[in-house]
Amino acid sequence: MAQSLVLTDADVLLARARTGDLEALEQVYRAYESPVYNLARRICRTVEDAEDVLQETFFEVCRSVHQYRGEGSLWGWIRSIAASKALMRLRRNKYRDTDELDEEFHRPANRQDGGGLRMDLEAALERLPETSRAVVWLHDVEGYTHEEIAGMMGKTVSFSKSQLARAHQRLRRWLGEELVAR
Amino acid sequence: MTHLTVEQLLACREAGQEPGVAAARAHLDACSLCLAEATRLDQRAARLRALPSLRPARDNWTVVRDRLTAQHRRRLVRRAAVAGLALAAGITLVVVLRVQAGAPRHEVAISEAMTRSSQLEQLIQSYNPDQRVTDGRTVQVAGQLEDRIAVLDRELEMAQLLDVPRDRDDRLLRLWRQRVGLLDALVDVHLTRARAVGF
Repeated sequence: MAQSLVLTDADVLLARARTGDLEALEQVYRAYESPVYNLARRICRTVEDAEDVLQETFFEVCRSVHQYRGEGSLWGWIRSIAASKALMRLRRNKYRDTDELDEEFHRPANRQDGGGLRMDLEAALERLPETSRAVVWLHDVEGYTHEEIAGMMGKTVSFSKSQLARAHQRLRRWLGEELVAR
Repeated sequence: MTHLTVEQLLACREAGQEPGVAAARAHLDACSLCLAEATRLDQRAARLRALPSLRPARDNWTVVRDRLTAQHRRRLVRRAAVAGLALAAGITLVVVLRVQAGAPRHEVAISEAMTRSSQLEQLIQSYNPDQRVTDGRTVQVAGQLEDRIAVLDRELEMAQLLDVPRDRDDRLLRLWRQRVGLLDALVDVHLTRARAVGF
């Protein structure tokens, strides 16, 4: 989660940033670099893509900070740009994201004899298909609603809901959390 | 007994009252297995939120800053170019009028240099460098050239103010030729980059 911009006078900093003051823009970057990168890295497949998203996000933030009028938190505004850039990167890369293929790809490597799956949550998250991972992260961690996610992805609310359910079914299985046959 | 699906459990977590959710919530209250599954689901989401924050391995600010600086510089050069073109147009008019009146050959050369300068600027604009993928080396070289052109434009404005016509024309011709040379180099830089990336 993002830290708030801890400054004695954030308004003054933003006012300077709006004039294009590089020092002020760098302070904004330093304050939000980590949460933006974290979001990008959780959604994108590679470190390189996440770094590109980080750069694109802050390039956009610096260029349009004058448009930020203080409605909503600064982090909320930056995060929406970052999420949008990360999803754009997914669309652009067009990773092979077919659920069936993904399921086949992961099953042999992850399933242990005896039925129980034991996988680290981080590894399990990493192995989710791109879209499912993006939805589960945006919904469960970043707190976006299905309506917001659907809007960002250009999909329906039902799509977002079904991706989230699939993601949780997989995570439950891979983490060995299945209680009963449902 | 039919237990709730993951979709239904997730729907129970959402605010609002969609069709079927009330019944699912009622089942959840009565079914210990489904309640345990819902708890696991909440715990999983909480564990996701508790995952360590990932940090970039290198400092990306320098890349962002360089792009911003390059964009800012291009904007300044574009403004200077517009001002330069306006200036050139004015000078051209004066030169043409003087050439028509039998002005010295110097002024014809200045006029030619200004025309060439304008053509090269249009050529650079047609590449639309702002919208291109550019490597750091190209940005650096292009930036240096653009800085030198901006300096030349200021010198051209100053040269206009010289009182002695011969001195003024000598200086203007020299500066305009330098400007053409720099713009030529800038075109080369953009062309090299365009060929390197294949468009």
